[in-house]
Amino acid sequence: MDYVININNLSKSYGNTQALKNITLQVPKGQIFGLLGPSGSGKTTMIKTLTGELKKTTGEIQVLSMAEEQLSTPNYKAKIGVLSDNSALYERLSIYDNLKLTCKLYDVSLNEIDTILEKVNLIDDKKKVVSKLSKGMKQRVMLARTLIHKPDLLFLDEPTSALDPGNVDKIHQILRELNEEGTTIFLSTHNMEEATNLCDCVGLLYKGIIQEMDHPDHLRYQHSTNQFEVETHDGELIKIENKPENSGQIEQLIASGRVKRMYTDDPTLGEVFLKVTGKDLGS
Amino acid sequence: MNTKRVLAIFEKDIKDFFKNTSLIIMPIVPIFLAIFYNALFDDFIPLFTIFIIIGMVFAGVTSYCIMIMMAEEKEKNTLRTLMMSPASFLDIIVGKSLVATVMTVLTLLISLLILDFYHIFNIQTILGSVLSLLFFILLGIGIGLFAKSVATASVYIMPIIFIFGFSPMFDLFGLEEGHFVNVIFDNLPVSLLMHTSEDGSWMALILITIWVVVAYLFALFSYNKNKNDD
Repeated sequence: MDYVININNLSKSYGNTQALKNITLQVPKGQIFGLLGPSGSGKTTMIKTLTGELKKTTGEIQVLSMAEEQLSTPNYKAKIGVLSDNSALYERLSIYDNLKLTCKLYDVSLNEIDTILEKVNLIDDKKKVVSKLSKGMKQRVMLARTLIHKPDLLFLDEPTSALDPGNVDKIHQILRELNEEGTTIFLSTHNMEEATNLCDCVGLLYKGIIQEMDHPDHLRYQHSTNQFEVETHDGELIKIENKPENSGQIEQLIASGRVKRMYTDDPTLGEVFLKVTGKDLGS
Repeated sequence: MNTKRVLAIFEKDIKDFFKNTSLIIMPIVPIFLAIFYNALFDDFIPLFTIFIIIGMVFAGVTSYCIMIMMAEEKEKNTLRTLMMSPASFLDIIVGKSLVATVMTVLTLLISLLILDFYHIFNIQTILGSVLSLLFFILLGIGIGLFAKSVATASVYIMPIIFIFGFSPMFDLFGLEEGHFVNVIFDNLPVSLLMHTSEDGSWMALILITIWVVVAYLFALFSYNKNKNDD
């Protein structure tokens, strides 16, 4: 398989504090990989190590077939896009001027500005000064700036933190479209819905260790008690183990007309995280 | 160094410069001072007053502009975005220095035009001016990267203007020859530049070059502090 990110036994320490401990993971081309963890779990350290902003302490990193020492080269930087919650724009300049700078830095045609602004739904606002934009609009401009050079690999560090649900949906939609076009996305989040909705694979990061890693649905299934819960009109709650031999019992219940609601007890990713680490994602 | 990227940063910064009132006001100060001196001295303008204006341009326009631009990029996190782009650090500082250089040259030309004072420029003074420009740019970059915010950088500029910009004025304090304060201020870049004009001193040029090296080391130190988050 063609891996865009290949990490082997990566550790990163700040003095005596170990932020990442022996992390091994591979991200295939075209995947949306999510690091899910609370604040301080090591997500930003991981992204900064992969973008060449931080040096690893031990281990091996290879991103886009480049070794760690190549991660600070213009060649690598031209192939990646980075958006974090503390990314910023030039507030006194217009959206167009901000993107024009990026085009010139990445050697991209200025025609791409309109194309990307159409994509993030800001084409009518391109002459607006950034300081006059809402937080959601600024985040979309930053996303446009991150995408304008069509990066092979996109790093997103908490891309939707502090945004309202409407803007979060818009950004998720753009990211899905981008991924369908072939861009690999590596994102960190503490938002379990974001991880569930977007990611093909999620790593649960806690205290610098990836505790578990799999497709969000698989993670939820693995930690499910494997039961159907059937609520009847007379208020009874019947638990049936999710096994093929119990299908007849379920059919009988449905046929009897007693069933009010029926559901599996698959946990949310947040509940999985709590179960695995003993720590709530929000805390 | 990539010329296209340097010019892109220059173009962005020059637009930003004219929208930033705290920066745009700085070139006005020495020009106003030149008009004032021109009116004050009818026939003969003392050499040190010319060099006070030149010092004011270097400290107040060159250093201040680049210092504030760097500090603002750092404070608002746009420096990180630039550093994550294919632009090298050299592209970034050269692009920004170009804005400071253009504003410095324009302010100097207008000020000297007002004073009608060109004969002070011999070859040593021209070379010394280029070296001084480099010194004040590097000093501004160093402080801009060292300061935690624009507000802190704005405070740092005051001693820069008084010590480095107004150094020729310390002659007026009437301290005895050889007094250590005199020796110090006599060997600061703008005073040395004045010596090149007075007697065509090559030694003064060498000393300005040493100041450039010191400022370069300071800028490098500040850059290394900001280079990564370790």
